[in-house]
Parts: sequence; structure tokens; C-alpha cells
Amino acid sequence: MKKIAKTKLQELWRCLSAEGALYLPVRSDSVVDFALWQEDVPADLETLNTFLPPKKFYYPQTETVLKYEFGENLQLLDASSQAGEKTILFGVRPCDTAALSLMDKVYLSEPVDEAYRRRRENTVIIALGCREPEETCFCQTFDIDPGKAPGADLLAIDTGTELVVTAQSLKGEELLVALNGVLQEATSGDEIRVKDVQEQAGEGYLTRVSVHGLAEKLDTCFASPYWDRLYRRCIACGTCTYLCPTCHCFDLQEYAAGHSGERVRCWDACMFTDFTQMAGGHNPRPTQKERVRQRFMHKLNYFPRQHGGEYACVGCGRCVRQCPVNLDILEVIREMGGAVDGQ
Amino acid sequence: MPVTREGFEPLIVAFCCNWCSYAGADLAGTSRQPYPSNVRVIRVPCSGRVNPSFIIRAFQRGADGVLVAGCHPGDCHYHSGNYHARRRFTILKQLLEYLGIEPERFQVRWISGSEGAKFSAVMNELTENVRKLGQNRKLRDAR
Amino acid sequence: MSTASEKLRASAAEALACGRVSLVLGWRKKDFWWQSPVAFVEAAAEAEQLSFDPFSVYNPVKYLLEATECHEKVGVFVKGCDSRGINRLLQDKRLEREQVLIFGLPCSGKADPAKIRAVFPAQKIREVAQEGEELLVRLTDGQERVAAADFLLEKCLTCRHPNPVVFDELLWEPVPVRAGVDVSRFARVNSVAQKEILERYTYWARQFDRCIRCFACRNTCPACNCRSCIFDQAEPRWLGKASDLADTMNYQIIRAFHVAGRCFECGECERICPAGIPLQEMNRRLIMDIDKYFGPYEAGLDAGDSPPLGTYRGEDPAGFDES
Repeated sequence: MKKIAKTKLQELWRCLSAEGALYLPVRSDSVVDFALWQEDVPADLETLNTFLPPKKFYYPQTETVLKYEFGENLQLLDASSQAGEKTILFGVRPCDTAALSLMDKVYLSEPVDEAYRRRRENTVIIALGCREPEETCFCQTFDIDPGKAPGADLLAIDTGTELVVTAQSLKGEELLVALNGVLQEATSGDEIRVKDVQEQAGEGYLTRVSVHGLAEKLDTCFASPYWDRLYRRCIACGTCTYLCPTCHCFDLQEYAAGHSGERVRCWDACMFTDFTQMAGGHNPRPTQKERVRQRFMHKLNYFPRQHGGEYACVGCGRCVRQCPVNLDILEVIREMGGAVDGQ
Repeated sequence: MPVTREGFEPLIVAFCCNWCSYAGADLAGTSRQPYPSNVRVIRVPCSGRVNPSFIIRAFQRGADGVLVAGCHPGDCHYHSGNYHARRRFTILKQLLEYLGIEPERFQVRWISGSEGAKFSAVMNELTENVRKLGQNRKLRDAR
Repeated sequence: MSTASEKLRASAAEALACGRVSLVLGWRKKDFWWQSPVAFVEAAAEAEQLSFDPFSVYNPVKYLLEATECHEKVGVFVKGCDSRGINRLLQDKRLEREQVLIFGLPCSGKADPAKIRAVFPAQKIREVAQEGEELLVRLTDGQERVAAADFLLEKCLTCRHPNPVVFDELLWEPVPVRAGVDVSRFARVNSVAQKEILERYTYWARQFDRCIRCFACRNTCPACNCRSCIFDQAEPRWLGKASDLADTMNYQIIRAFHVAGRCFECGECERICPAGIPLQEMNRRLIMDIDKYFGPYEAGLDAGDSPPLGTYRGEDPAGFDES
């Protein structure tokens, strides 16, 4: 266990950026998002949810998977082999860290997505524990401890004036060694303070919902009239899916021009009208009702059914705060079975 | 971007109305009035047919400058197409400039079927102005 | 004196009970103090859920397009900005006047949750209610009164038509237009326009670079009411799916241009943009130029007039070299 005074974070980041491309939450205009560290741009370690979740580092919104060129022979270039610059993410919150392990279930199971795997291997995650949940946080619903981040390589806890850093993986330990110059040894007092912060973090929840037995209950709800009411408010934008740390649907697009071209993988969203549109014009999800149902059933029924009972939601609250029409997963969990206390 | 030994050669896309400006281009040709080979003419029925999407798409796919040319006000073959075009492109031009696109890159001109010399002069002027600006990078699609 | 919410409930219940309409669109409260989504009320007994509070912002008008497909007549509550959306749909021939029963709600502005959170700890807020010209903020440990004017949404600060411009019934007295809106309306546009050209590009590139193409701006806009949008079209594909900056500019330019002369300044696109892109600075730039070249025009005030880009005059000036 090591520590550093919060006033000396610039030094820490300078060292980290020597180890790899360092990204941390930065405010640009009104939006806080992960951005490449720059000496003179202050980091924002107070905001809990960044605009986009860190999934964009493993699974970019746009990614070239193949390039080709017709010369004398057809030349193929597997662009995924280029992925994998060493990257360090600083300040990833526990919910977003947990979301990555859900994403792993999709992209690291057979057939393994090579570019994803390579990026995952080449990235070090330094998680930052939360001190106090926001009103829209409900990660506890999914057994995520806001003071811990088991999937991260390093965990940093803000004890007030210092950050106390613990290695949680081999990669993390290696990085700690490299940072020896700027970090101090933590004391047993620090250890107690960390425990206090972690315990306190779990106490401030305003939103408590339960998903106990929800997946099983939804087995029989596909044809429920509930969806007829729910979907009407949806304006079919992609805010919820693009901002969701666990949404992972994509579309493959061909960009062809003259004698060369590329195949690109782009984020796509089940909320869009053209998501399931077939070439002949048929759409198996013809109205927004089917699309809204798909999103929530995927998160709360299909995913747990396929992946050992784990829900594809981490309770980060992005969709709750950002949905233009306040149609969010909390509402569905509550109305379809889970109980809400508090608000 | 076509690059010659002398350096950068801009690509200009000119949307020319069938009834006036395209005829103007023909006249420039038959009267042997030269205009740069950088210009690619796209014949449209009327300047009013030109959708702002066409202009943005031209820039995306590699144009360094775009011209819309139509009949002089009052001369439209369809009575009012160019009047609508005038309103539309007046506004679009201001918007592009406001977003930081150099105003020289997007031009609108009235060129009649008898103005072969004007066609040639406009194309020369546009090509030279865009040549000075260099390649359009702001609106060019990376793919 | 009954409260605003009570008036909404009474009007909706009456209209549904006597069969004048079979659906009423209003607002209701949800889990959090800042959530007031649109409510779909189909029976007089359900009217109790209606509420009109500092967060009843979302414009219910766009829902009319789908609602009128299965309801002969729909009741709708509209603020000043929302009502101009109705004129928008009427002018675009997407709606018939007889299909809607319009309840007008004069509105002196809605509250910005971000401004409230900046003053009060969000975790402690239980409810924020309008009381005259004040907001009553109920906290877990007491309550406070603040001037509502200090917590208005950006879009409300520049609102020129707080009173509905089309309605069948007005639920209460009209409110005055805020002083100084004519200056503040274009203030942001002017400050961007004053920058050097390269600086302007850098500014907009930074904004558009955040765009994730969720299409919330388009989908929420009553002026964006095409039956199918070119940006959803697969063949030919006018907008690539790859998040390329130039292609995002393509989307943003065409979106803004398509509503030029038709945008009625409700500002919802900007308010709901998850990436915080100042879309009103584009929409208003177009309005400014239309005013300058073709004479002052405000969209959505009169369903019978012609939008400026759908008409012309022979003596129009041109923004380019006409020689």
C-alpha cells in the first residue's frame, strides 16, 4: 500500500504518462470525459460519471477491422493487429470497472475479439473509489461496492488530503514499482482511514432497488402489456445505449472507394429504427415498442440467462440522468418486480 | 488530392444548371476560352435542385472548392428555382463561414448561356483562390 | 386559489370525461425531484397523476404525430415554446387543427436542475416546487426559498414567447416577456461570430468532436418531422456510421439547415444533448441571417405563413457575388 498527497498528483501523472498514454477525467466546456493527460489541463476527480464510460478505450465507437487494396493482387490488411498502445486509465469508478468485466464476457469468450483482448492486456486501470454516491447511483443493486474495484489493477482511495493506492494485480504491482519515486509508503493509520472511507461510501445511497428474481420473472413478460405503455415516451435516440458502460452492440460498415476500401466496426444502438432493418426492407422489430423491450430484456433477462445470472447493468445512473424523456432502467426494475426504498 | 510537380492542385466541383451555366460552359469551350482542368462540372436541372447535402458531400469526398452556378435572377427555366437557390445558399454560405470554413471555398454565381467568358473567369478565379488556401481538410471525410 | 397542477388535472379530467378527447398529454412526477416526464392520460381517473412544476420542460408536441394515429382527438398542455411546435406541425401539414384540443399554459420559465445542484447538495433535495416567483426547495433538513429567476434554464432566459401562441383554452393569465431577451437571444451567437475564422473552426470542431450521433437533437425536434430521415437511409447512405469529425459536421450542418426558417427556438436540442453541444448557437445563427437578409421572421407563430426558405421575393439580396 502506497500513498501520495493530492497536491502532488501532477507529479504522479507526469510519471504515469511516461509509462503509457495516460487518460483521466477532464472537463471540456460543460462535459467531463476521459481525455489524454496534459500538463496544464486540470483533472476532475470529483465528478462520478464521466460523459462516456471508459468502454471507448477497449471498444472504440469506430474501429477499422480490415483494409484492402486492389493492386496486381488483392492486398488485405488486418487492422486489428495495430490495436494496443500501452494505455493507463486513471480515475475509473468502481461501477465502470465492473462493467468491463461484463464486457469481457462478450468479447473475451470464444470467438475472442483479438483487438479487444489486445487493448485490454495493454491497459492498466487505476480505479478511484467513490466517497459518496450521487442520487442516481444504484450500483449496490448489482453488488458493486463503491469503495472497491476488484477488476482494477490499482485502487486509489481518497482519504481527504491523500490518495492511498493499493495494487490488485501483477500489472498494478509493476506499475507501483515504477512509481516508487513519487509515492510514499502508507501507514497503518492510512489503512484504517481507507477502511473508513470505504465503509462510509456504501451508506449514502438514496436509490435502493432490488433485482432479486427479476430475470426469472421476466421470462414470462415478453408479451406483457407493460411494454405497450412504457415505450410511448421513447424518442428513439441512442443516448441510453451509447452512454451505457455495458451496451456493446455494433454494426459493420463497408467504406469502398475506387480500388481500396475498409471495413469499419461502429457502435450501433437497438433504439434506432434501422438497427434491425433487413436489406429487403423487413424489420423484425417494427416499432419502438419492440426496440425498447429489447433493450431492457437484454439487460435484465437475456444477458443474465446467457452469462451465469449477471445483469448487464452496473447502476452507474448515466441513463437515469441523461435520458431526455426520463425513461430509464430504474423504472423498469421497479415496475417489473424489484422493490424501491428511499426515493 | 492531385499533386503535380508544381505542388497542390485543387479539386473544384461545379454544379451547373442545365439551361444557363452549363450552356455557358459549352460556350466557353466552343469559343476556346480556357478554364482550369481542376474543375469537374456536374450538370443539374436547376440551381434550385442543388441540395446543401450535395455541397457537403462534395467537400467530404475530396472537393477543395464548390461552386453552384445558375441562371440570372428572372431567367430561371422553371420560373423561380434560382430565387429559392439564392435564399438557400445565402444562408448556407453564412453558416459555413460561421463554422470556420473559409468563405472562398463555397461560391455561388449567376452565369447565363451567353457568358462563356464569365464562366471561364469565374473558374479561373475560384481555382486560384482555393489553390492559395490549400487542401480542404475540415470537411473532408477521413475514409 | 387552486394550484397550477390542480388546474391541469381538472381540465384533463373534464375533457376526458365528456369525451372531447381520448388522450391527454401533460407531465407527471417520477422518482427524482428533477424528473417530470410527459404523461399519457387516457381516462379521467388517471388525471390525478398530472403535475406542472419547475421541471415540466419536455415538449409533448412531438408525441402528437404518433398519438393522432390512434386517437381521433388528443388534448395537449403547452407552454409558449411548446405551442409553437403545434404551429410547426400544422404548417408542415403533419397535423390538423381539429385533431388537437390545446390547453395553453403561460410560463415564466423552467428551472435548471444543474443550477439548483450547484447551490444545494443534490443528495439532500427532496422536492423543488414553484411558489409564485420563488422556488421552494425542500431538503432532508429543512427548506429554503430562492428566487426562481436565478435558476432558470438557459433557453428560458432568451424566450420571446412565454405565452402560448395557439390554444383553445388558456388556464391562467398571460405572463410578461422577460426584459432584455432581444439582446440575450443572440449574445452567444455574436460572441462566437467575433472569433477569427480558425478559432471558430477550432471551437466548433471541439464541440462536434464530442457528438456521439445519438440523434436526440433530431428526434426531439418538432421541426424534424420527416416520415423518414435521410440520415437513417442505408442506400444511398448520406451519413456514415463511423464517428468521423467531417461526417459529424455533415450531420450537424444539414440538421441545422433543414430546420432553418422552421426552428422556433424551443432550445430542446441543446438542453437534452448529452454531449453539451451548443446547438442553439447554430440554429440562432441561421435565424439571425434570415432576419438580416429576408426580413424579421419568427417560426411557429402563424401556421398560415410561409417559412422564409419556402418562398422568395424578386428583390431579395444575396449573400454572395451576384455580378
